[in-house]
Amino acid sequence: MRDLLLRLRRSEDAARPPHAWLGALGGAALLILAVIFIVGGYELGFGSTRRLGTGAFPVITGFALAVLSLAVIAGDLADKTDLEKPDWISFAAIGGALVVFALTVGRIGLVPGVFLTTITASLPDPALKFPGKVLLGAIVALGCWGLFIEVINLPFKPFMGL
Amino acid sequence: MDIITGFSQGLMVAMQPENLLYCFVGVFLGTFIGVLPGIGSMAAISMLLPLTFYLDPTAAIVMIAGVYYGAEYGGSIASILMNIPGTPSSSITCIDGYPMAREGRAGIALFTSAIASFGGGIIGMVVMAVLAPALATLALNFGPTEYFAVILLGLVAASAVSNGSPVKGVAMVAAGLMLGTVGVDITTGAERFTMGIPEMRDGVHLVIVAMGLFGVGELITSIRANATGAHQNDIDYKKFYPTRAEWKSMFGPIWRGAGIGSFFGALPGTGQTVASAVAYAVEKKVSPNRANFGKGAVEGVAVPESANNSATQTAFIPTLTLGVPGSASMALVIGALMMYGIVPGPRLLVDHADLFWGLVASFLIGNILLLILNIPMIGLWVRLLRIPYKYMYPTIIVLICMGVYSLNNNVFDIWLTLAFGWAGYLMKLFRFEPAPFLIGFVLGPMMEEQLRRAMLLSRGDPTTFLTRPISGTLIVITVLLLAWSIRSALKARRQGRAMPMLSDE
Amino acid sequence: MKHLVPLSAAAILLATTAAIAEPGKWTDEPVRIVVTFPPGGTSDLIARILAQYFESEYGQKAVVDNRPGAGGTVAADYVAQQAPDGTTLILGNNAPFTIAPTQFETLPYKPLDGFTHIAYLGASTPALFVQPDSGITTLDEYIEKVKGDGITYGSSGVGSITHILGKAVDIELGIEQIHVPYQGSAPAIQDFRAGVLEAYYDMLAQNRDLITGGETLPIALAAPERSPLFPEIPTFRELGHDIVVENWTGLSGPAGMDPAMVQTIHDTVEAIMDMQPVIDQLAQWGISHTEMTSEEFTTFVGGTIDTWAPLIKAANVNGG
Repeated sequence: MRDLLLRLRRSEDAARPPHAWLGALGGAALLILAVIFIVGGYELGFGSTRRLGTGAFPVITGFALAVLSLAVIAGDLADKTDLEKPDWISFAAIGGALVVFALTVGRIGLVPGVFLTTITASLPDPALKFPGKVLLGAIVALGCWGLFIEVINLPFKPFMGL
Repeated sequence: MDIITGFSQGLMVAMQPENLLYCFVGVFLGTFIGVLPGIGSMAAISMLLPLTFYLDPTAAIVMIAGVYYGAEYGGSIASILMNIPGTPSSSITCIDGYPMAREGRAGIALFTSAIASFGGGIIGMVVMAVLAPALATLALNFGPTEYFAVILLGLVAASAVSNGSPVKGVAMVAAGLMLGTVGVDITTGAERFTMGIPEMRDGVHLVIVAMGLFGVGELITSIRANATGAHQNDIDYKKFYPTRAEWKSMFGPIWRGAGIGSFFGALPGTGQTVASAVAYAVEKKVSPNRANFGKGAVEGVAVPESANNSATQTAFIPTLTLGVPGSASMALVIGALMMYGIVPGPRLLVDHADLFWGLVASFLIGNILLLILNIPMIGLWVRLLRIPYKYMYPTIIVLICMGVYSLNNNVFDIWLTLAFGWAGYLMKLFRFEPAPFLIGFVLGPMMEEQLRRAMLLSRGDPTTFLTRPISGTLIVITVLLLAWSIRSALKARRQGRAMPMLSDE
Repeated sequence: MKHLVPLSAAAILLATTAAIAEPGKWTDEPVRIVVTFPPGGTSDLIARILAQYFESEYGQKAVVDNRPGAGGTVAADYVAQQAPDGTTLILGNNAPFTIAPTQFETLPYKPLDGFTHIAYLGASTPALFVQPDSGITTLDEYIEKVKGDGITYGSSGVGSITHILGKAVDIELGIEQIHVPYQGSAPAIQDFRAGVLEAYYDMLAQNRDLITGGETLPIALAAPERSPLFPEIPTFRELGHDIVVENWTGLSGPAGMDPAMVQTIHDTVEAIMDMQPVIDQLAQWGISHTEMTSEEFTTFVGGTIDTWAPLIKAANVNGG
């Protein structure tokens, strides 16, 4: 597991940074989003000038965004520089941590949920050995219990089914 | 009662040991809870509400006010150290505060933030004391048309705060406005773009957007940067006292920020966000150090903090005299007053003059306490950055989860944070800035509401925005600001063409 | 139009000689009182008062759990799914229990069978307010103005109780006022005072200072009787229009709670509602409490759904 991560990490480090013209993808995503809102807005109804309908504001802002995103695409395609290197391992691990939190906190309780979330989040960092990750998880979990439930009195359950 | 006697009586009230103690408790708790990402003054105040049953009204309000601005300050600590803003105005503090922290000047950034908050708070307090009746009537001169114009000004300012491509900045504002329409349309009750999910009916909570785009997005970026030990070792952690030059450069921004903040603060709802954005945009145009804005300029931290804090002070005026809460935390202040049968309204300044002046004086004392409390703490906060990142980032992600989950106790919000977090990372990668998006997202629903209301009340006549004097003036200012931004953007582009190899580090 | 709150008839029919339980603690676990609004409103404050007295008077630990959203349905859906062991209660009101069943086509919970309705806490009543310098002083003059130049009125939101009251007035009086929704009554009142709105509907007690300050003029009250606060304001009913709208609040739990426990909670709540500081506090907010048994309260909730449905449909707040 750890070897695999290190190997992935090394291959990511070795890769050349992506071209900035890829930023046009961001512009394209905005354009798609704008079109969705324009179409959806028209379906919701534009209303009259006196009584603007439910769809009026999405359509107006959607058109503005569509025009702007075309400008963004044009600007990025002309950009000859490089972007920062992406880090897809951390991207996945942080996402995974949020998934773990969402799946556990309402089912098995805050303390075990936070424990597992912390471990998931710490996975991509090879600097911390596995026992260290477990220890960190335990400390953070107990700290959250004390701080959020006992001190701030938020209505969370530390353990479920207990 | 004239101002001097009012204020000195207020000072007597505020200096009573009991009120002093509760002021301290409020400021202290507020700061600590405000540092936790996503858990702002709301959670802190609701936590203390039951305690206020036992207190006398002045002590309770003094304490709650202390929590409120303590949490505002705590929020800027989180913004500077971790790039996790809890409010749209602290997202502007992030623009320069976080780069300062990354280059080892976290202490100076925190110090600047404390001084600017203090300066802004004091100036806001003076404005509040001297102009209370005028400020109360100011808000009454603002109908839907005027609010629309103010928001438009705020949005134009927001697109100008961005440091990357100006086109991307405006596009982000537009995207924020557009995504702000998700949820139930408050004017007709129809659902928009909710995909049939009940949790989406009220739209996406601001804290989720901020935590996702800023916090999660930043976290993903910095894991690798820190693993390679890029910047952690060469930081001089003891350096947190500003140099003489830095002191001098704070002065102007604090005054300008406070002036702009005091004015906008009196407009409920829109005040703090618009104030910080406009103040930053103006400062970015007038500051001699404008070239460094976005790269860790002291002025860039001072101005939004000062604007935000003076707006926080003057925001109490509409809350107390009109009963219109500018924020969810302000709604709690009203709630606390109602516990004592004090209904906010035009008579409050007269019928409860002791409470009002006690509150004004407690702002002074609270701000001083905040300063005394926080200056020694700066060293401690900065030391937090010394904790190896391998321990820090899993803890931060858990804190983000807890903050988001505590909003509605609903797991669905975590899924949304995931979506915004990933989007935030991609935006960072493709050089889109989150601050203009966040401001558009916050102001969008208000803008739409006021636009539709204004059109309804003018019976379909759009010229109402230009013919009403206040809104006409604001729109002219907006157009001027826009023209100015376009001009300087074009100028920058011409210079950029001359030296094309500047952008990569 | 029928009497909107069939209270008295239900009360007589269902007046049972319920066993009297001792007020006191009913579970060793901390109780969560779920509130359908964010912190700070009257509803939230009532929950906090209850939680406070549960603990200080009866040793029953209780915390307030704000789950706002989607017209109170998020909170109601959550509570309906919890175990009926007395540890999760909801501070219910007309939003999830009276309005939502008609407003939304699909509802994830059943407003009557999905809950154990425990205790009725009280209600406040709204009135119609106009500009004091508009020359309008009576409902008849108001009707005339609406039929002539038209009138814009503010409500505290689409599907809110004041919007539905506005619709009820439209239907009952055969007029058409122009509705301008706000988010809560405070911003509507701000625009009213700025002179942008000509009228608004809001709870009477919360406008006390504005009324005495001469900044607003209530012309008709949607209560069964005149208010002790302002006895000079006529009710819609005595003006010949049977419009009664009550903004009620009550305590409920998930379906299937043990009757003995329900009785204990009910009696504990009633004991708290009889305490002088609580009576004074509620009077400040213009909330009048009447005692109902749990059965009466259940019938009351069902009654409000039936009588309000045609109005909510007329207000067209389902987004259709």
